[in-house]
Amino acid sequence: MRAVYGIVAREFARFLRQRGRVLASIGRPFVWLAFAGAGFAAVFAGRNEIDYRVYMAPGLLGMVVMFGSLLAALSTVTDRDAGVLRMMLVAPIRRGTVALGKTLGATLLGTAQTLVVAGLLLPLVHLRPTPAAALLGLAAIVLSGLAIGALGLVLAASIRSIENFAGVMNFVVFPMLFLSGALYPLRHLGPALRAVAYANPLAYGVDLLKHALLGAWAGAGYGGELPVPLDCAALALFAIVGLAVAAPLLGREGGVARTAFGERR
Amino acid sequence: MTAAAIDARGLGKDFGAVRALDRLDLEVRDGEFFGLLGPNGAGKTTTVHLLATVLTPSRGTARVAGHDVAREGLSVRRAIGLVFQETTLDRDLTVEENLRFAARLWSLPGVVAGPRIDALLREFALLERRDDPVRTLSGGMRRAADIARGILHEPRVLFLDEPTAGLDPRARRSLWERIRGLRAASGLTVLLTTHYVEEAEPCDRVAVLDHGRLAALGTPAELKQAAGVGSLEEVFLAHTGHPLAEADGG
Repeated sequence: MRAVYGIVAREFARFLRQRGRVLASIGRPFVWLAFAGAGFAAVFAGRNEIDYRVYMAPGLLGMVVMFGSLLAALSTVTDRDAGVLRMMLVAPIRRGTVALGKTLGATLLGTAQTLVVAGLLLPLVHLRPTPAAALLGLAAIVLSGLAIGALGLVLAASIRSIENFAGVMNFVVFPMLFLSGALYPLRHLGPALRAVAYANPLAYGVDLLKHALLGAWAGAGYGGELPVPLDCAALALFAIVGLAVAAPLLGREGGVARTAFGERR
Repeated sequence: MTAAAIDARGLGKDFGAVRALDRLDLEVRDGEFFGLLGPNGAGKTTTVHLLATVLTPSRGTARVAGHDVAREGLSVRRAIGLVFQETTLDRDLTVEENLRFAARLWSLPGVVAGPRIDALLREFALLERRDDPVRTLSGGMRRAADIARGILHEPRVLFLDEPTAGLDPRARRSLWERIRGLRAASGLTVLLTTHYVEEAEPCDRVAVLDHGRLAALGTPAELKQAAGVGSLEEVFLAHTGHPLAEADGG
């Protein structure tokens, strides 16, 4: 367990040293709130059911945990290029321990960023969750971080270099964000897109956050759409499957032994 | 009976159609300073990676510190230190953070790791740079930090894969002095790979590798005597039919 702690501690040490990354992760949701929020709020204004900026709050928190955990997990690609991953793989620990450490590191980083943002964002949109709701929200954030961190690790173990990053942004991050219910309720989508949305871990995370934060608007159709236990179970399942898939991929020879190969060229 | 530090039998590895290592039989004794000499592409790194459980063998078996590399990977990894050809330090972390990170991966309790890290930093002349990011260190210092990290958990067998690659002559000399000191102090078994004959010269025994095959094995003196030549350079030529330096393509 000391090894897991070591991997997590390293993630935090690295993150805090990258000032740009810290500022981006905390500033990003406010940029969305200011620009996307203002525009959509004007469109929604006539309905008078909910201020769009309030509606956005759980989605923005979901977005912070998604970026936080996913980027942390994707740093495994850099670890591999820099050789740090090899060093972890010659330590007397199992591949699964490395995967678990990276996923927990990603989860805790994502959670810490989301809590900082929540502390600034929720007062701004006048959301004051009860202690019980705050606890449910925290569970939503941690579970989302685990699920998305594990998914990010699978991605990191499968992509060859950080240059494939743009592809990840286009085909993973944006669809995940738009089909999560962060920006609009999923119930308005057609059956095909809804099916895709339900294959998206962030959708369950955002749903859970809506249960926690938008309970007062549930009657108007803006609260969580799925049962809380289902959201939790889906996120846990994503996390477990992700970890199980990522662990052997990480230890795979191709990822580690490329120079052994290169030596012959 | 004490087990040999390394015992490989018919060990081999293929990468697709490429035979990186054919069938290697090798026994390295406890406390020995053993050299694997050969040009780039001879299979030296592959051998080290197989013995360190980084790669799985395509054929044959090997035991390191008494443990089977294919079946007892964790026990093997607990007993060895491995310094890769390229640095595996985290450049964004400080020297000390890198060592602490390693200490945790090797499950060393803080009370054990702390004094050991201090001692290693002193020994490797890194004490003043302990709080500097590795990024700011010279090549020689990085190498020193790599090796300090490799022996932090007091391994029985230390693998050094081309440890002096890219270092200037002065950094090389100080590295060899450190390794000599370490061996004298702890009786550590060291397996070194190199394509420099002068680095193989001080080894207790040398295995000459070429094209994934063991071409010769013995003490430097035995090898020279058997081939009737005066240098390991000529030993390599006598056994492989081509000079060592020419095959060194970087």
